[in-house]
Amino acid sequence: MIDTANYGLLLVILFVTAYPFYYLLITSFNSGSDALLGGAYFWPSDFTLENYKTFFNDRKWLIALGVSVMRTVIGAATGVLFTSLIAYGLSGKDLVFRNFYFVVVIFAMYFSGGLIPYYVVLRSLGLLNSFGVYIIPAMLNTFFLLIAISFFREIPNDLKESAYIDGANELTIFYKIILPVSKPLLATMALFMGVGQWNSWLDAAYFVRDENLRTLTYRMIEIINKSQIPRESIAAAAGASNVTSYSLQVTAMIVSIAPIICVYPFLQKYFVKGIMLGSVKE
Amino acid sequence: MEAETIKAEMAINRSSVWKRFKKQRSAHFFVWIGLMYLFVFAYTPMFGILMAFKDYSIVTGIKGIFTSEWVGFRYFIEFYNEYKFYNIVRNTLALSFLKVVFTFPVPILFAIMLNEVKHLPFKRVVQTVSYLPHFISWVVVLGLAFTFFSSHVGLVNQVLLAWGWIEDPLPILTGSSYFWGLAVGSAMWKEAGWWAIIFLAAMAGINPALYEAAQIDGAGRLARIWHITLPGIKGTVVVVLILTIGSILGGGLVGSNFEQAYLMGNANNNDTSEIVQTYAFKVGLAQGRYSYAAAIDLVQSIISVILIFSSNYIAKRFSGSGLF
Repeated sequence: MIDTANYGLLLVILFVTAYPFYYLLITSFNSGSDALLGGAYFWPSDFTLENYKTFFNDRKWLIALGVSVMRTVIGAATGVLFTSLIAYGLSGKDLVFRNFYFVVVIFAMYFSGGLIPYYVVLRSLGLLNSFGVYIIPAMLNTFFLLIAISFFREIPNDLKESAYIDGANELTIFYKIILPVSKPLLATMALFMGVGQWNSWLDAAYFVRDENLRTLTYRMIEIINKSQIPRESIAAAAGASNVTSYSLQVTAMIVSIAPIICVYPFLQKYFVKGIMLGSVKE
Repeated sequence: MEAETIKAEMAINRSSVWKRFKKQRSAHFFVWIGLMYLFVFAYTPMFGILMAFKDYSIVTGIKGIFTSEWVGFRYFIEFYNEYKFYNIVRNTLALSFLKVVFTFPVPILFAIMLNEVKHLPFKRVVQTVSYLPHFISWVVVLGLAFTFFSSHVGLVNQVLLAWGWIEDPLPILTGSSYFWGLAVGSAMWKEAGWWAIIFLAAMAGINPALYEAAQIDGAGRLARIWHITLPGIKGTVVVVLILTIGSILGGGLVGSNFEQAYLMGNANNNDTSEIVQTYAFKVGLAQGRYSYAAAIDLVQSIISVILIFSSNYIAKRFSGSGLF
C-alpha cells in the first residue's frame, strides 16, 4: 500500500521534472506557426529543422553563443588556475600568519558590500562594458578555495621534498607536481565554474552595453519578453516564415540546456561531495 | 629575571617566525595576490557601504565614497516614506517565509520517499532526473514558465481549456495573485532534488542494524521512518535549517528571490513581485540613485546578519549544535 503510493508519487515527480525538457525538445522541432495551435504533446505535429536553421544562421544568436562559449571556457580555465594557485599558497601546514589569512578569506565569504558598491568598484576598474567583467570578478571562488586547500593538504609531502632537492621553485612545483596529481579536483572546479559562467545572466544584462558582448542568456531573456506579447507571435505566424519568436525561444533554450546535459554525467560524478562540503561551509 | 627569560624567548620566537616566513616566501607571495584580489573585489565594496550615509555621485569613483558629504539617515527615511515601501517589504517577507515553509521540508520528504525505494535502478533514475533542473539557468526556467503557463502558448492553459476546466486562460504569469505561488513552485521544481542529496547522504549513514532491530520489535514502515530515519538525520536538518533561516531574505536555501522576482516579475504583477533587492537594483543601476539603493540594500543585509546569528544561537541552545 505505502509502496504503491510511494512509487506512484515518485513517478509523478519524475514526469513533472523530465517532461518540460522533452516538451521543449519536440517544440523546437515543430514548425513555429503549428506550435502556436497547440496539440503536439508527445511528438512534433509538423516536423521541421527550420528553427535550428534560423537560429544558426542569425548573426546575433551566433555572437551570443560565441560569447557564452568563450566566457565559459576562459572563465573556467582562469578561475581554476587562479583559485588553485592561491589555495596552494594557503595549504602549507606551518604557514606563518595562517589564521589571519583564513579570517580574511572567510570574512569575505560571509559578508559582502552589496551590489551597488560592487558596481562602483567594477566601474572604477574600467571593467564595465568589457569582456573582462565576465572573467576577472569570477577568478577567485572562495568556496572552491577552501575545498582546494583541504585537497592540497592531503598530497604527500615527499612529492614536494624531492622536487625541492632538485632545486625547483614553488611555481614549478605547483605546475609540474601539484596540478597533475589534482586532476579530480581541477575537473570538479572546471565543471562547476563552467556551468556557473554558462548560466550567468545578470552581469550580461547590467554590466555590459556593447551588443557584441551579449550572452546567450541575455538574448534568451530578450526573446522571452518579446514573445510574451501575443501580437508578436501571432504576427510572425501569419507571415511567410514558419519560425516564430516563440519557436526560436524554445530552440535557444534547447541550445542552452544541451551542453549541460552533455557534461551531466561528469558533474554527477563529483557533485555529491561538493554539496556536502558546501552545506557546511556556505 | 623572569621578564628577561620571556623577552629572550620572544626574541627566539620572532627570529624563527621570520626564518619560517623567509623560507615560505613564495607561498606567501601567492597568498598576497589572493588577498589583494579580495581587497579589491570583496573588501572595497564593504567600505562602499558608507555611500548609503552620504550624498554620493558615481562620477567621483571610489574616492568619492570617502570624500562625499555625509547625509546621515536621509536615504533610509526616504525609503521608509516611499509609497511602495509597504508592498516591497510585505513581498520580501512573504516570499521568503513561504519559500522556507515549503522548500525546507520538501527535500526531506523527497529524500525519505527515495530512501524507501528498494528498486535501485528506479531510485537512481528518479534521483538523477530530479537534480537536473539545479544546473540550468534561471533564464531557462523563465522560458519554461512561459512555455507552460503563458496565456496564449502555455501548455497548461491549452490543456485546461481543451478539457473545458476553464473558460479563459489563467493569467499565471501576469496576475498578481499568482506570483507567490509561481515563485515557490518553480523554486521547488528547480532545487528540491538537489537539496535531497544531502539528506539522502545523511540517511545512508544510519546503521542498518537499527532498522532490523525495529522490524523484529514489530515497528511498521512509518514507525521506522519516524523513530529511526528522522532522528538519524536530525543533525543535518538542524544545520540546513540554520542556513535556511540565515538566508531567508534571499529565498532560503534555494536563494532565488532576486532571480525570480527580477525575471518573472513584470508590470502586471509588480505589486506582488517587487522585493527589496529588485527595487534597490532598479533605483540604483537603472535610475542611477546609488546612495539610495545602497541604503536599501544595507537594510536587508543587516536583517540577514541578525537572522543568521540569532538562528545559530537558538539552534545551539536547543540542540547543542550550531554552525559557529
